Amino acid sequence: MRVLLVEDDELIAHGILAGLRAHGLTADGVSNAAQAEAALATLHCDIVILDLGLPDEDGMRLLARLRAAGMALPVLVLSARDAVEDRVAGLRAGADDYLLKPFDLDELVARLHALLRRAAGRSVDIIEHGPLRLDPGSGAVFLHGQPVDLSRRELALLAALLHASGRILSADQLRDSLYHFNEEIESNALSVHVHHLRRKLGADLIETVRGLGYKISTVKP
Amino acid sequence: MSLRLRLLLLIGISLSLLWGAVAIWMLRSLDDEVHQTLDQRLAMSAQMVAGLMSQNPAAWDGRSHTQDKSALSMPSMAKGFDCQITSLRGDVIMRTPGATVDAVAMRKPGYSERVIKGERWRSYTFETDSLRVTTADRLAERDLLLQNVAIAAVVPFVVAMIGSLIVLWLGVKSGLLPLERLRQALARRTPETMTPIPERAMSRDLMPLVSTLNALLQRVHVTIHRERRFTSDAAHELRTPLTAIKTHLQVTRITQGKDAALALDYAEEGVARLQRTLDQLLTLSQIEGPFSWDDGKLADAEEVARLAIRDASASSNAPARIVFKRAGKSASLAVPQALAITALRNLLDNALRHTSAEQDIVLEMQLAGNTCVFRVLDQGGGLSAEELAMVKQRFWRRGSGQGSGLGLSIVAAIAERFGGAIELKPRPEGGLEASLALPIKN
Repeated sequence: MRVLLVEDDELIAHGILAGLRAHGLTADGVSNAAQAEAALATLHCDIVILDLGLPDEDGMRLLARLRAAGMALPVLVLSARDAVEDRVAGLRAGADDYLLKPFDLDELVARLHALLRRAAGRSVDIIEHGPLRLDPGSGAVFLHGQPVDLSRRELALLAALLHASGRILSADQLRDSLYHFNEEIESNALSVHVHHLRRKLGADLIETVRGLGYKISTVKP
Repeated sequence: MSLRLRLLLLIGISLSLLWGAVAIWMLRSLDDEVHQTLDQRLAMSAQMVAGLMSQNPAAWDGRSHTQDKSALSMPSMAKGFDCQITSLRGDVIMRTPGATVDAVAMRKPGYSERVIKGERWRSYTFETDSLRVTTADRLAERDLLLQNVAIAAVVPFVVAMIGSLIVLWLGVKSGLLPLERLRQALARRTPETMTPIPERAMSRDLMPLVSTLNALLQRVHVTIHRERRFTSDAAHELRTPLTAIKTHLQVTRITQGKDAALALDYAEEGVARLQRTLDQLLTLSQIEGPFSWDDGKLADAEEVARLAIRDASASSNAPARIVFKRAGKSASLAVPQALAITALRNLLDNALRHTSAEQDIVLEMQLAGNTCVFRVLDQGGGLSAEELAMVKQRFWRRGSGQGSGLGLSIVAAIAERFGGAIELKPRPEGGLEASLALPIKN
């Protein structure tokens, strides 16, 4: 899952990004509304965390504008303003959830998973695909009831493919899900991770669509 | 005590006292008048009888020797009113029938009073050459007369008095009706209602009150709004570093090694920031509160400038690059030293924060009249007109600057408390000029 964090306070942004990455999420941060718009236009993101107090534009206005322009990603608003009016206004402007600062990192991650799950139309957090079970919250993977040990990247790759539920994801999209901006990516990194997943979970799980990308196999293993 | 009761008592009691005093006065003079009139009548009766007797002395002359018992009887006059005619020797010539003998017994001429069988009698004796006429009346009769007169006068008076008190009560009640309506209108309001009271429905006498009340409501509304906003801003300012601290501490729990150490460093930075903001909030509330800052020390302007420069240089990472220029003499400031340093240092901090490390900052000091003016000149980016308008608002900071957003608020609060002034204006050659005028001791 790739998270875009829009937060102007550098200290908080550092903390959230480190926390999200430690929880196995791919996270990128931008510090103002203009950068947020640019990032949303160019990156493949799954979810947005938006702080309301931005230096160049009020977060609420940015959100309303993005929603009006058809941005459908789930948005979790972070704010230190705890008045009921503020929270209501945030939800009305198109936020899917509202979390007050200071918050609990575990709660933030759980809410992100819940938002994503609802956006995918599932009511339970566990994703099942044939004999394969993935719990995105804890990062645990089971094959035929047996736990499978996956690295952080492999887990992110599997989650991205499962979330797409059969749609083809391009290599770029997958790389966006796996790596944040500043990470160095080796050219064959993605295929290495795909190879490892196939080895651990079965060769048929991930199909390569030539020239387009990868998708999860609709023929269940 | 309710206004109505107070009005009622005030007017009622003064009305009763006033009219009561008038009534007593009236009765007193009536009493005197009646006694005088009756005395005159007593005297006139005696003189009249004497006059009549002297016109025909033959009729009674021969009787002068007769015994008391057989005295000629005169027609009865009135109850309690007796008359006796005697010779100068004391022989009774005539007497009203059934007369109280003692009452008309011989006396010296003129008025006299005596008590007979428990009743007071007043008599008048008139002497001619040969006769002595005594008339007497019972004072109880006079009192009865007076009593009747008093009752005839007092009853309508008391009725009128009670009537006017009732009218007064009704009048006060209806007169205070607009006030009661205003009271009800105010009683219906919740503490949050800040809308003005409608003025058109009120009586004209209450208009000044309602206008004053509305003006007060307006001021309270503005104050509450400002305080709420300040509280909300303060909460926001405190939550932000708190969030950073909490997040980084949680990161240390789920990471190891270098990442955890980095997160701890960040958490510490958050603590420092939280402390700075808290310190500044406390300073601000102390400057605005009743706290006495007077430490008895004289704050020399030049020393204040030097100490502020030292503090500002110590806290900023940049090496000292503040140039101090003094024009003329120094003087003692009428501001506590600690606060003067705080104010000046905040201006220097701002200048340091918004200029690059190579640029010098100039601090000029000059006496002007009763004030000492400190000018902080920088060559930084300056401020736009809109930014200048917002710059003294609490928690306003430029972009995502590192300050708490309270520095200038503190300077302004110090200037306001001690009668100084702070002014910010862009310099023609670029950058900002902040001038702080502080009063000096005479």
